[in-house]
Amino acid sequence: MCICDLTVGKKGYICDIQGNELLAKRLLSLGATYGTEVCIKNYAPLGDPIIISFRGFDLAIRKKDAKYIYVKEA
Amino acid sequence: MTIAALLGNPNVGKTTLFNALTGSKQYVGNWPGVTVEKKEGFIDKSIKIVDLPGIYALDTFSNEEKISKNFLLNENVDVIINIVDASNLSRNLYLTMQLKQFKKPIILILNMIDVAEFKGIKIDFDKLSKELNVMIIPISASKGIGIDKVKMLLMSSNFLKHLDDNDYHFSSEKDTYEYIESILKKCITYSKKNIITPTEKIDKIVLNKFLAYPIFLTCLYFIFKFTFSYVGQPLSDLLDSSLNDYLVPLAENLLSNSSPWFKSLIIDGVIGGVGSVIVFLPIILSLFLGISFLEDSGYMARAAFIMDKLMRKMGLSGKAFIPMIVGFGCSVPGIMSARTLESEKDRKLTALLVPLMSCNARLPVYALFASIFFPKKQTLVVFSLYILGIALSFLVGLIFKNTIFKKDEEPFVIELPEYKMPEMKSLFIHTWDKGKGFLKKAGTLIFSISVIVWFLSNFNFSGMSDINSSFLSNIGRFINPIFIPLGFGKWQNSVSLLTGLMAKEVVVGTMGVIYGGDLSQMLKTAFTPLSAYSFLVFVLLYTPCISVIATMKKEYGLKMAAFSVFYQLILAWMVSFVIYNAGKLIF
Repeated sequence: MCICDLTVGKKGYICDIQGNELLAKRLLSLGATYGTEVCIKNYAPLGDPIIISFRGFDLAIRKKDAKYIYVKEA
Repeated sequence: MTIAALLGNPNVGKTTLFNALTGSKQYVGNWPGVTVEKKEGFIDKSIKIVDLPGIYALDTFSNEEKISKNFLLNENVDVIINIVDASNLSRNLYLTMQLKQFKKPIILILNMIDVAEFKGIKIDFDKLSKELNVMIIPISASKGIGIDKVKMLLMSSNFLKHLDDNDYHFSSEKDTYEYIESILKKCITYSKKNIITPTEKIDKIVLNKFLAYPIFLTCLYFIFKFTFSYVGQPLSDLLDSSLNDYLVPLAENLLSNSSPWFKSLIIDGVIGGVGSVIVFLPIILSLFLGISFLEDSGYMARAAFIMDKLMRKMGLSGKAFIPMIVGFGCSVPGIMSARTLESEKDRKLTALLVPLMSCNARLPVYALFASIFFPKKQTLVVFSLYILGIALSFLVGLIFKNTIFKKDEEPFVIELPEYKMPEMKSLFIHTWDKGKGFLKKAGTLIFSISVIVWFLSNFNFSGMSDINSSFLSNIGRFINPIFIPLGFGKWQNSVSLLTGLMAKEVVVGTMGVIYGGDLSQMLKTAFTPLSAYSFLVFVLLYTPCISVIATMKKEYGLKMAAFSVFYQLILAWMVSFVIYNAGKLIF
């Protein structure tokens, strides 16, 4: 499943990141590696972008990019 | 001389440390070819610290990363000062692992130890130092704790012996993080679980579905008011009037026996030119105080987050909203504040669009024409011009995004840092840097153009003349034909538009001089309501004033400045043409 399918506050583990290579590389270097615990913290008032949280910090990311982050529900 | 490179993630207190180490001995410039700030500072004469851009890694191909990498490779860096957030070590040490590959001595500065303690993170510094094979100094930059130790270590040169010959090339990000985690496991203990940080509490309110926009708009309202009503503008007006009330009469007295041309050169050319530069200074300073406050407190990232969906429609990211709003006051600080945006493409595109926001200086022109030609619909006419500017910025943004900026698309990910109280010292240093940069780089250009325009409007081949027979009026007559299709092709108007390059409100003053007599009567014979509106549209859109052009050149170089001048000229001509000719068909 994709990270967008997680409900707010529910945890998951990262399995794979596809899509834009540059973005995938950025996320990986920030520590979104295989097996990292991740959750959705919040949505922007207009529904996009979203805030995801992993390794103890918050990151804003657009939905169109987030849909390439695949997770396994915890 | 010892050269120290200062590196670290964004939002870990790098600038605060840099300011604390170097004090006022800093020099701000640009890295060649890009709009990324280059800062250098000194601890006495023997140690130079170069503040490299805040980055998370060295291999994800951003401009900031390329700059840092090239600097480490090509300059003779003696020591790397790597500042990390002690409350978030695993991500911060990723950069450290990549820095290790350069085989230079590293001083690891653990900042925000107080935050880490609050979060229940206990770090065994000695063990961490051994495991990572670097020197470690724990500090709290914002409270000034530990800064002296960093200074002393740098001055003692003890770090030079400290080298690590191990190989730190990993096969994947996952391996790097696993290595980091294995070290941290030995050195860190966590005593608290699931505490709710102040940041989370604030975000509950600030990012709330219903409160987010009202809060954001209130912040903007105060910054805008601070700049254009409470502090900046009044100071500007005060400067302006003290120039006119004291300096000008003084100069007139002193020069009472000089020839008229010399008097005019000093009073209208030089003093006028200096005046047109320094009246911007209070506005720039007060605006940047406000913006730096938002930036340093951590709120700016949230503003970008909530505005992103809207701004994306014009090809920009959320942060661009602030420069655009500032543009309604004045384009100069608007363009300067575009520097806070994440990517080069965003910075450039924003700078090109900001002048389409109708600035304060254009209002006197609208007011004059609206009162003469649309006495019953003044508000509507002025409002329509503002809306036209906004609508065109969306349209032009879309066009530019899909043409000249197509290949520069950068993914949008921004960290939402923890909130913190901005420090006064950093705020003032940053604000003053902006003012100084403007005076030095843009000021000289604005001044020289002012003097040139003074010359053109006061002289012709036979010597001094009034504006009606000056070089400028000749140029006005020469370019006049291009305005005929727009409905206002009279040389008087062309000359007014030319002097309007100085500042758009000057259009009104020039018209007063050239048409002579009562403008409300004279203009009625020169314009129809339709051609008057077409003229206003042209004033809204045509080439921004020289201060904007000079700022554009300072920030983005000559090519961007020239491009901005020409695209706006073409846009203004096309839109006025369409409005005038469509209007003729309808009415």
